[in-house]
Amino acid sequence: MHKPAFSILGLFDSAQALMDAIPIVKCGMPAATIETYTPYPIHGIEKVLGRRRSPIAGMVLVMGVIGALAGLGFELWTSGWDYPLTTFGKPPWSWQAFVPIMFEVTVLFACFTAGLGMLFLLNRLPMFRHPMLRSKSMPHITRDKFALAVEAEGQPVDVDAITAVLKGVGAISVEVIEQPAPSGPISPNFVLRAFGAIVVSCAVAAGLTYWAIKLFPVSAPMSHMLDQPRLDPQREEGFFKDDFGMRLPVAGTVARGYLPYTIKNQDDAASLTNPLPGTASVMQQGRQLFNTYCSPCHGLLGNGQPTLTAAYGAKPANLVSQTIRDYPDGKIYHTIMAGKNAMPGYPAELTQDERWAVVHYVRALQRSQNAKDLDIPKEIK
Amino acid sequence: MKSEMTALPEILRNPAVIDGPISPGALDDQVLAHVYRKPQTVWFIAFVFSSLCMLLGFSMIGYTFYIGIGAWGNNIPVAWAFDIINFVFWVGIGHAGTLISAILLLFRARWRNAISRFAEAMTIFAVMCAGIFPLIHVGRPWLAFWLTPYPNQRGVWPNFRSPLMWDVFAVSTYFSVSLLFWYLGLVPDFASLRDRTVGKIRRAIYSLLSIGWRGSSSHWLHYEKAYVIIAGLATGLVLSVHSVVSFDFAVSLVPGWHMTIFPPYFVCGAIFAGFAMVVLVLVLTRSVMGLENLITRYHLDVMNRVILACSCLMGYAYVMEGFTAWYSMNESIHHTFRQYIFGSYWWTGWLTITCNVLIPQLLWSRRLRQKYSVMIFVAIGVTVGMWFERFVIIVSSLHQDYLPSAWHIYKPTIVDFGILLGSFGLFFTLVLLFARVLPVIATTEMKAVIPGAQPGHGGGAHA
Repeated sequence: MHKPAFSILGLFDSAQALMDAIPIVKCGMPAATIETYTPYPIHGIEKVLGRRRSPIAGMVLVMGVIGALAGLGFELWTSGWDYPLTTFGKPPWSWQAFVPIMFEVTVLFACFTAGLGMLFLLNRLPMFRHPMLRSKSMPHITRDKFALAVEAEGQPVDVDAITAVLKGVGAISVEVIEQPAPSGPISPNFVLRAFGAIVVSCAVAAGLTYWAIKLFPVSAPMSHMLDQPRLDPQREEGFFKDDFGMRLPVAGTVARGYLPYTIKNQDDAASLTNPLPGTASVMQQGRQLFNTYCSPCHGLLGNGQPTLTAAYGAKPANLVSQTIRDYPDGKIYHTIMAGKNAMPGYPAELTQDERWAVVHYVRALQRSQNAKDLDIPKEIK
Repeated sequence: MKSEMTALPEILRNPAVIDGPISPGALDDQVLAHVYRKPQTVWFIAFVFSSLCMLLGFSMIGYTFYIGIGAWGNNIPVAWAFDIINFVFWVGIGHAGTLISAILLLFRARWRNAISRFAEAMTIFAVMCAGIFPLIHVGRPWLAFWLTPYPNQRGVWPNFRSPLMWDVFAVSTYFSVSLLFWYLGLVPDFASLRDRTVGKIRRAIYSLLSIGWRGSSSHWLHYEKAYVIIAGLATGLVLSVHSVVSFDFAVSLVPGWHMTIFPPYFVCGAIFAGFAMVVLVLVLTRSVMGLENLITRYHLDVMNRVILACSCLMGYAYVMEGFTAWYSMNESIHHTFRQYIFGSYWWTGWLTITCNVLIPQLLWSRRLRQKYSVMIFVAIGVTVGMWFERFVIIVSSLHQDYLPSAWHIYKPTIVDFGILLGSFGLFFTLVLLFARVLPVIATTEMKAVIPGAQPGHGGGAHA
């Protein structure tokens, strides 16, 4: 009697009985697909069944090598090239110091390839709808019985004949496992539910992200670093008798190396002229200072588009625009000194000469960003 | 050949990996059934006690977060104290689990099968306890994610040349690989539980955890291969982890730390402390849970031999350390080593030597080695000794280093002790929960070593 089935399963009492039965069944039904189900691994059964060797070792080797290269490459790139840090007096590409992390990354890649590759790729798990899981024999198999299955996977087979063969080789019981009905089309209800679940998860994730980024870092005790007692310079802090936190300079005196600056507004400053010559060394100095103090807001090109603006909401001036190109040197100097709008002044950070060097460099930037035909040297035109 | 065999003691000639006859079904009944049973009163008492300790520890940690690290006794030059002692101590405890589950698997030591599950679980819980300490030690743990190399607007990467960074990678790799290894071992056992369980919710949980395992020959073929490969990799990993932990010390220039013996010395100490903890927990568990036939006297005997061997190695390491210090002709190092045994914390040095080298010598006697009271005494002694060994290495070395003007006597605060107690609370709470809800013995592996389980081995039973 032929009828479609997923498999016909014979249960055996011992590993020995199963091992003895396999060659006989294989001999009797050379065309059949045979699979065994056992409570623990039986060594040598793969040879009797004629299974190929597991490819897992090769997968692990490949992923281990990739892990080693990825670990070492990442360390070399970050520490030697992208942001060279000089620590312990070692050269940037001190590969010896990168070996421990390279080893850990190798092991991590290799182990997870072995574990997850075995479960997910080779054994095709998770699989909760496999017909075997619903068979009556499964609880016996995971306990102490050994099963031999002739797998038909939905093809019509002679159930009675196979049952007889299995009984003949010593199976204590035989079970026919039905081929499950193919799953129907996805119901609208399921789609609606899945969509709802996705929307809710997104909303929850958004809320959590907002909390983690905006609220959590500024709540106690994370905010305690801001609350520590300290004296701010030139603020009324109640440290001295006149409530100041620092002393003012003695009246009528000037600190060494410090020139008093009396100009109050930009228009008065317009008459100032740059005392420094625009030599290469002054330009070099101006560039270094500009990149240090000005570029975080005005950008390396002075165009007001640095990498850090979005976070602070201020809109830094475009130094290479026509308005600022029309400024006299004195106005730019005054802005560095006294600040403008959201920009603070830099009287303490830069000396007089340094400020003028920056002015020179700003002029150079303005010219470079608005270069004319005339600016190109003849020999390379 | 025969005469050699008879020369061996009875226990080695005929190791009772399983005491008495047992069938695979009976094994399942014995090991898996406890998941459904109501736990004994002693379990509840232990659970309440350990979870209260855990609660105390976590409230002390919360207090530390609120007040800051000033709540502890740490102060320059003793910037590392209880936090790092506890970290090294707990990571070390974890190493025994990996040794038992991975290295002994490669050596085909059949006796590992009965205790591997428990030891692996202890590895994971110990590394969880260990992981807390560097996190709270950084002072602002909510910024600890800066240790991960992610692209950020500062444009800076972590310093990959720092042993502290190696530590982050070593410990996190160790934890994730141990968890993976433990889970892989559990998958077939979850399948057994799934097929035994009647209750709908429980069955769904075990079903999910077993991810549809069905024990086909191809499943087992890939499974066994992957398991052995991970064991081989984990062997290298476990040796690397405590070596990297020792680099935290050895790479620095503090007198007493800057020594080439540190990596092997630390690995040995880790296995030593870990085995003591495994013996301590298993002696109690096997009698409370009635597993005497599976975790036999032979298991305890073998583990005690390992402890004895490690103890002798520790003694050797201490002597070598002292010799290296003397041979260095460096006054600062001489001073530090005098501090270890004659300094302000002289008693911790002597306690370390007594607990780690002298007390385990009791195990030379077979009669004493098989007494539970002696085992528990030695195990507790080793645990205490290994904790104080890290105290000596860290605090005694730091409190008087090169600059005499900075010398400082370290005194722990009540918060330090609270967090230490809390870590023990966390560890034992997790161990108790594990013993309650998961199979404490790898039944699948045990079934494979029952006599007659492997027809391919001529009726023998090999793992």
